[in-house]
Amino acid sequence: MKSIFFHLMPYPELPPDFPEQHRSVWVDIDPKLYDPTVGHQTYNAYLDQLEFAAQCGFDAVGINEHHSNGYGLMPSPNIIAAALSRNCPDTNIVVLGDSVALYNPPLRVAEEIAMLDGITGGRMIAGFPVGSPMDTIYAYGQNPATLRERYHEGVDLIRQAWTSDEVFSFNGNYNKLRYVNVWPRPVQQPHPPIWIPGGGSVDTWDWCAAEDLVYCYLSYFGYKAGLRTMQGFWKKVQELGKETNPFQGGFAQFIAVADTEAEAWDLYREPAEYFFNTCLHVYAGYADPPGYKTPNTVRAGVEGMVERAAREATARREANAADAAKAGSAKPSYGSKKLSFEDMVEKGYIILGDPTQVTEQVHELATTMNVGHLMVFSHFGNMDPELVKMNTEMYATKVMPEVAGLFEDDYEDHWWPKTDHQLAPVGSRAQ
Amino acid sequence: MNAGAPLAGHFAPGTLPYRDGHIGIVELGVGPTVGYLHGMLGNPGVHAVLEELAATGHRVVAPSLPGFTGSSEPEGLRTLHDWVVATSEVVDLAGLAGAPLVASSVGAMLALELAAVRPEAFGSMVLVAPFGLWDDSDPVADPFGTTLSVQRAMLTEDTAASAAFFDDPADLPADMVVEHGVHRYLTRTAAAQLIWPLPEWGLADRLHRVLNPVTLVHGAKDRIIPASYLERWAEALPNVAGTHLLDEAGHQADFDQPAEVARIAAAALA
Repeated sequence: MKSIFFHLMPYPELPPDFPEQHRSVWVDIDPKLYDPTVGHQTYNAYLDQLEFAAQCGFDAVGINEHHSNGYGLMPSPNIIAAALSRNCPDTNIVVLGDSVALYNPPLRVAEEIAMLDGITGGRMIAGFPVGSPMDTIYAYGQNPATLRERYHEGVDLIRQAWTSDEVFSFNGNYNKLRYVNVWPRPVQQPHPPIWIPGGGSVDTWDWCAAEDLVYCYLSYFGYKAGLRTMQGFWKKVQELGKETNPFQGGFAQFIAVADTEAEAWDLYREPAEYFFNTCLHVYAGYADPPGYKTPNTVRAGVEGMVERAAREATARREANAADAAKAGSAKPSYGSKKLSFEDMVEKGYIILGDPTQVTEQVHELATTMNVGHLMVFSHFGNMDPELVKMNTEMYATKVMPEVAGLFEDDYEDHWWPKTDHQLAPVGSRAQ
Repeated sequence: MNAGAPLAGHFAPGTLPYRDGHIGIVELGVGPTVGYLHGMLGNPGVHAVLEELAATGHRVVAPSLPGFTGSSEPEGLRTLHDWVVATSEVVDLAGLAGAPLVASSVGAMLALELAAVRPEAFGSMVLVAPFGLWDDSDPVADPFGTTLSVQRAMLTEDTAASAAFFDDPADLPADMVVEHGVHRYLTRTAAAQLIWPLPEWGLADRLHRVLNPVTLVHGAKDRIIPASYLERWAEALPNVAGTHLLDEAGHQADFDQPAEVARIAAAALA
């Protein structure tokens, strides 16, 4: 099993009363809360953490794209990938991913990933999400009724652009291009592996299964809650009579390791509470714009990951407001209805414990969900950099070696950069 | 993708073949024909304004636009131009070409767009809170960046007025409840396609072509399009026959005050 150190890059200094004073961490988060000095320090600290994870031996480092978002400071993941590309010479980089429909034309994604693949010598993995409603519909003004069609057309364009050895014209419904000619070309041929981050759309299961693409469920709610979604995908693979190769699956998981379980409970409480109670304070009105889901997904009653986060945050907000009204106070207290750290751990949102306990749970996650690519959140919320370092190093040295062999003997990872095709570091990086 | 066979539920008492799918249609009353083009709430069956219009001595024909209540999911409708062409087809299919028209909300916007390119499409028009104008100093509200319950409260002043769309009858079979949920979602999707992200597609530059007499109706408590837009429309249209601000009505005044809207329409169309 491959372990990917994944970073969301949350803004670490949202005020303690953020859920009380603000409607949402996403879309309409107050611009006045952003301090550029904090941003400067944060970007550099997070890049340090990604580079440290690479040095620790993670199979890859991973990043993603969000807009107008207090828990995701990466409107452009390719910029972060570029910053990493020279300082992580031996590690693969997973951009999971570029929200294809937001690029005009999406050819830009094909070009930038090809550039990154060139810089890294063939160590890129390209993720293509539809993008959350908050990012695509609200922050970037895409029409929900046409978003998915636009997205699929964009992915088609990118794949054709990478694989065609001729200059060609692309006559799409949303992209009219007389001359398509990606220059530079990716090192990996025909193209870098393509992973699709999904949030529970049944049509994405069908598509990934049919097209042999990696389906990644980037859940914030852990493996216990994510099982149904991954099973939905594997069922589609089976229905097509294909092999349920675990390397065609990916999953994200918060992980908190310490020398002892007691120490882990003590160390990780604050950053976990910051993430789940502040960073996920998303207004439910942004979670389900009409048209974002396909009719099949509506019919199946599947709830997306961010939809769930927003629904739960809004429910807590409303419950607290009701409590405050009952108590005769105009200002709700969030202390009473916040998600507790104990709940996060019990429900599996966070895998916590000593190295042995964490290893057991990661093993259980991988085998029950049948996933060969684990996106590890060793950083979450406002975690202190030293704690991130410890968590990262302990996972890399004490957990990863125990789970690295999972599936490797029985399945081939067709969706991973091929080392025999990679180019050796050159120039100043050759040392 | 076709959303499936025509529903037998209350969303589509009748259907007409349309391209590879169908559109829902409601027809009732006896007398001179008047068309009705629905707003964001679609045509949830035989709703009150249709009955009130019929009671004024008209034959009312109310097609559902592609994707809206009882119609199949729209194919190939990506741009406003596609929608105007589709509206023109629907008008012909329903036999409404040249007839007077009552239209609301997104339907009123499409009626104006069609009238700008096909002046003979309609006779005189009664338009309830059309989308299509935008003023930075008094912007149109976002009806989609909200929870469903808030959206419902934005559409009509009295939430009970939109029950035909939002609430299923208690005796509706379970499988039909699911399909009604899907059709509600598709209806909201189609409305979003027409007015997201901002409901302004340059219509103001085409309004000089709309020479039909237009009677304007607006809910004073419209929480989506501010009531101030009644005056903006009156200034922008070349042939305004009258304006009416209804005190106790929200965005879909035709649902909040169906009898009053029908009375205004009957007088305007006489």
